[in-house]
Amino acid sequence: MTSLRRPRDAEPNITNKVYIRSTKSGKVQKIVREVYLRDDIPCSSKLCTICPLKAPRSASGAMMPFVLSEKPAGTKEYPQGHYLVPDTNALLNAMDLFEESSAFYDVVILQTVLEELRNRSLPLYNRLIGLVKSEDKRFYVFFNEFRWETHVARDPDETINDRNDRAVRRAVSWYNKHLADNKGNITVLMLSDDKGNLEKAKSENVPATTLRDYVSGLPEADRLLDMIAESQERGISRDKKFAEFLYPEYYSMSKMMTGVKNGTLHQGIFNVSPYNYLEGSIKVPAFPKALLILGRDNINRAIDGDVVVVEVLPQDQWKEPSTKIIEEEAITKNENADGEEGGDIVTESERRALQEKVKKAQGLSTEGRPQPTARVVGAIKRNWRQYVGHVDQSSVSNAAKHGRKQESVFLIPMDKKVPKIRMRTRQAGELLGKRILVTIDSWDRESRHPVGHFVRSLGELETKAAETEALLLEYDVQYRPFPKTVLDCLPRDGHDWRVPASTDDPGWKDREDLRGLLICSIDPPGCQDIDDALHARPLPNGNFEVGVHIADVSHFVKPNNAMDTEASIRGTTVYLVDKRIDMLPMLLGTDLCSLKPYVERYAFSVLWELNEAADIVSVRFTKSVIKSREAFSYEQAQLRIDDNSQQDDLTNSMRTLLMLSKKLKQKRMDAGALSLSSPEVKVQMESETSDPIDVKTKELLDTNSLVEEFMLLANISVAGKIYDAFPQTAILRRHAAPPKTNFDELANQLKVKKGFELRFDSSKALAESLDACTDPQEPFLNTLVRIMATRCMMSAEYFCAGTQAYPEFRHYGLASEIYTHFTSPIRRYADLVAHRQLAAAIDYEPMHPAVRSRSRLEAVCKNINVRHRNAQLAGRASIAYYVGQSLRGRDAVEEDGFVLRVFSNGFVVLVPRFGVEGLIRLRDLADPEPESVFDPETYTLRTSGSREVLVELFMKVRVRVRDVKDEGTGKRGAGMELVG
Amino acid sequence: MPLDTSSAYPLALLRVDGRRWNDLRRLHAAVRTQAAADGSAYLEMGNTKVMCTVTGPSEENKRRTAASTATGNTGGAGGGAGAGGAEVAVEIVVGGFSSVDRKRRGRGDKRIHELQTTLSKALAAALHTHLYPRSTIALSLHVLSQDGSLLAALLNASTLALVDAGIPMSDLPVACTAGLTSAASAADDPLVDLNAQEEQELPFLTLATLGDTDRVMVLVLETRVQAARLKDMVDLAADACKSVHKSLREVVRRRGEHMVEEGAVEKGASMAMDMDIDV
Ligand SMILES: [Zn+2]
Repeated sequence: MTSLRRPRDAEPNITNKVYIRSTKSGKVQKIVREVYLRDDIPCSSKLCTICPLKAPRSASGAMMPFVLSEKPAGTKEYPQGHYLVPDTNALLNAMDLFEESSAFYDVVILQTVLEELRNRSLPLYNRLIGLVKSEDKRFYVFFNEFRWETHVARDPDETINDRNDRAVRRAVSWYNKHLADNKGNITVLMLSDDKGNLEKAKSENVPATTLRDYVSGLPEADRLLDMIAESQERGISRDKKFAEFLYPEYYSMSKMMTGVKNGTLHQGIFNVSPYNYLEGSIKVPAFPKALLILGRDNINRAIDGDVVVVEVLPQDQWKEPSTKIIEEEAITKNENADGEEGGDIVTESERRALQEKVKKAQGLSTEGRPQPTARVVGAIKRNWRQYVGHVDQSSVSNAAKHGRKQESVFLIPMDKKVPKIRMRTRQAGELLGKRILVTIDSWDRESRHPVGHFVRSLGELETKAAETEALLLEYDVQYRPFPKTVLDCLPRDGHDWRVPASTDDPGWKDREDLRGLLICSIDPPGCQDIDDALHARPLPNGNFEVGVHIADVSHFVKPNNAMDTEASIRGTTVYLVDKRIDMLPMLLGTDLCSLKPYVERYAFSVLWELNEAADIVSVRFTKSVIKSREAFSYEQAQLRIDDNSQQDDLTNSMRTLLMLSKKLKQKRMDAGALSLSSPEVKVQMESETSDPIDVKTKELLDTNSLVEEFMLLANISVAGKIYDAFPQTAILRRHAAPPKTNFDELANQLKVKKGFELRFDSSKALAESLDACTDPQEPFLNTLVRIMATRCMMSAEYFCAGTQAYPEFRHYGLASEIYTHFTSPIRRYADLVAHRQLAAAIDYEPMHPAVRSRSRLEAVCKNINVRHRNAQLAGRASIAYYVGQSLRGRDAVEEDGFVLRVFSNGFVVLVPRFGVEGLIRLRDLADPEPESVFDPETYTLRTSGSREVLVELFMKVRVRVRDVKDEGTGKRGAGMELVG
Repeated sequence: MPLDTSSAYPLALLRVDGRRWNDLRRLHAAVRTQAAADGSAYLEMGNTKVMCTVTGPSEENKRRTAASTATGNTGGAGGGAGAGGAEVAVEIVVGGFSSVDRKRRGRGDKRIHELQTTLSKALAAALHTHLYPRSTIALSLHVLSQDGSLLAALLNASTLALVDAGIPMSDLPVACTAGLTSAASAADDPLVDLNAQEEQELPFLTLATLGDTDRVMVLVLETRVQAARLKDMVDLAADACKSVHKSLREVVRRRGEHMVEEGAVEKGASMAMDMDIDV
């Protein structure tokens, strides 16, 4: 035992650290932690001869390799070479710089900085850890708080920030002295943008510089300088002139917390209307309906997705939601990015746009329906990410197009809900016409627009590569190739891996041999990652044995290794029209795990005994080895089932499955399951050029529903089992009942326009009233109503069983008490977790601590909920892009469309054939823009003058669809024109 | 907030509080902290702080308090000292302020009941209870602050208080925890003496041995752990127990010297005590 004993009594090397932590419930806790100070934490410089002698070793005696080069790069100022020690603000402002491959090598990350960064921004922290792990960048984490020479105790009246600044300086100064002791000439340089810290460093003789000064000395300074956040430069200029404040000041954090606690303020997530950038809404627990936030001053610098605190305005200031389409591009196009900001925050044009000077049909109800309206008083958490967009050509001066003068330009994000971003750049000329990636740095009171900086260019606008990457970035899809550490986790045999022939092999342990069963898979045509396969056979007692066999991914992906971590971050496979971004490496997804036909595969099987009525008599779960007999497409399977001449066992077993699935479906429907709808289309590609040639609406066959029913059944059975075994940590999926008010609008619309009554007191009532919404004249109407109802729903979410009460487990859409995802482990991480939990529940293998830790699982759930949503959105955006592409260069096509929404200055049309929605504004109808009368009570817009049309909600219209480039977002998509 | 073990350890082979895998926390203990009791001790393992007082052995009516009834039966039965041996009654009071979440733990709390039973059985096995038939040795433990390894700290404090009370035992029962970093499989190191944060994040066990022998008196493992890694954890915990044993013996020895200096005890008597525990 080499255990170190501490010297007794005098214990200078132990200190207590006090943390203040606020819990979810808002309580504040004081945590006292011990810290053991030591003298053996290495500097990790390859030059050092002192540290290697006593560096910490692992239980097996291994030492961490030293990473900092003995001959680091020099600069003009430090020709002998230097190491960098960034302060937290340097990393927050310019993480992109540190990821550069042309500079920023040999970097020491202090523990103080790492912890601070983690508290400020988890994504940046993760990126930094990525850098530390990549060996070629030579980043080293120095645990300065644990080394007694560099540990700094907080003085009684010192702020935490001052203490941290001091800790950073102390560590830099120690490093310099330590390297000098080693007779090295290397300088250790602190990078900070904090003026106070820099001044103190100067007086203490600690080598330090600003990020900007440092970068200016590097080759390629121009390009790199653009990547530094804007805020710091402004920070200096702010002292010089007294800026005028445009926006109301935010409340202090404590004022907001108190206000939220006693109910005078409300906290929630800010959402921007997709049709009006000056209108936002926020859902707060105290109000049944979302609060309205109208106008730039009330929105007060909140950006879509931010967690903000709002104050409800006095009732006489309540407003109605705007009935107008208002696009930022049209209103603010003449603003000057470089000009002096000033004047009123709300420009005259914005004020005019918001004023409802619309002629409304008089007479009906003149009182209107003002809604609770609020204003933003502070931001709790910004949800800013990197944004893709393009530079607004009109904001670039001619001089900048040629010279290298630095100037401010506007970036117009692809996401219309994000305001345009002001950024300073020296390469405005080069960036024109490119898709570029930017980060928002700040949005101060004196700046009308948020301020950001350039990250990188994705390539020319409208090239497939740039647009695809843009789409992936917009939805935060992790699309980089799998790193080597992940590939190292794959089985060594690669594609030659086989299920071991000998059943004595450890791989066969506790596996049932189901190779004799007539199992087949049914998937979309061309499916390579086959997650599931099925079988059914009659039992002697007249019942049926039905099996659902799922790819045994958890056999190949062990908890917590690099591959698992990567998969948990990706969360799901993302399907784009012409591309699939896998959650797991191809070798597993499309080969070793995939339940391909004619070969033996490991599986995780759910086996039921079902009676004639498809009631479950019994269910069991087992790991197994199967051999699929055939991989059918939905269509092939359907043909085979329908062909009565086929009487082989396999076909008959599919017929049994189909018969049972219909009964299962009926039972679900009787219980109130909803059949909802979203327009699904499929893009057909030219196989050679992979150019889209046609768009088709997806067809649904009986066999689609066959597979779906058994997957649902398997998921429900597994959910019950893992919840029994792990009532705290089981990973489940719930779908909350939508708040009643969500349907108010739709119910009113249906009543006014079609005389239908929508009932939504239960999912069953909703399902039945949706069934009744039919018009024999217009078969599509029912689908249309379902599409609109779907948009009123909550989204389903993954959660940890312990975080909800049992009644909250309910899946509203499926009308099931409990539900999870188990059947697609190749493409969804949640399913992989469920597999591990089920394996533990049946005592196949013990549960790894990572799968057991509730806090960890909660974090996993949170991440995969976001990923899941993003994957859906990315998929849809990809289809929209390709629909646009398929129309490109063709004559405009005339199609039927349906009016989804009516505004006072335009309306939205859905074209079912392409599954796209388009906006038709008044000004698109004719030139000059026709006069119009809008009646919000009957959802009717009547135009006169230059063109006379009557548009009302749910109306079928004829539209001409052609591809247009949206000048605002630079996106190409379907544009519509009203015919007739 | 500090980093968590699984991210900090692979970076520098250091734990969240700066220790290496095999470092114990600071162990501070004092004997005879309350003169009024028959035996008493105060013990800190890091920020886990406990106090123990011993009353007895007393031959009065056994059922004195509700608490001793609750645990006395198990204590007596678990002692293995045969019929007529002293009963070891353990009562644990956890201060509401002792842990971060300040959850109040009542007397009926299952967790506390379990701790009481475990302690009472382990102590009865080490004490020569047969010397005190029909009597009760009552231990009252107060948890002042919790920062992991609670059972181990309670047992170590009890040991000292029992020594202070002069109750003969075959050797000092000592305890320590051991855990396993859940980091990537390669650097899956075992750890000793876990603090509260580590106990929340990692699988761990509590081991008690008798003196510096490898005789296991208590082994509690409530988290799932790979069977293959269990041996490493137990081995490490046993080594750690030996270190703890050395520390506690040192505390007892110094206390003895102190008493001799003050003349509270005759020299011979203290020698006898020393010998008693020095087996
Ligand atoms: Zn060194």
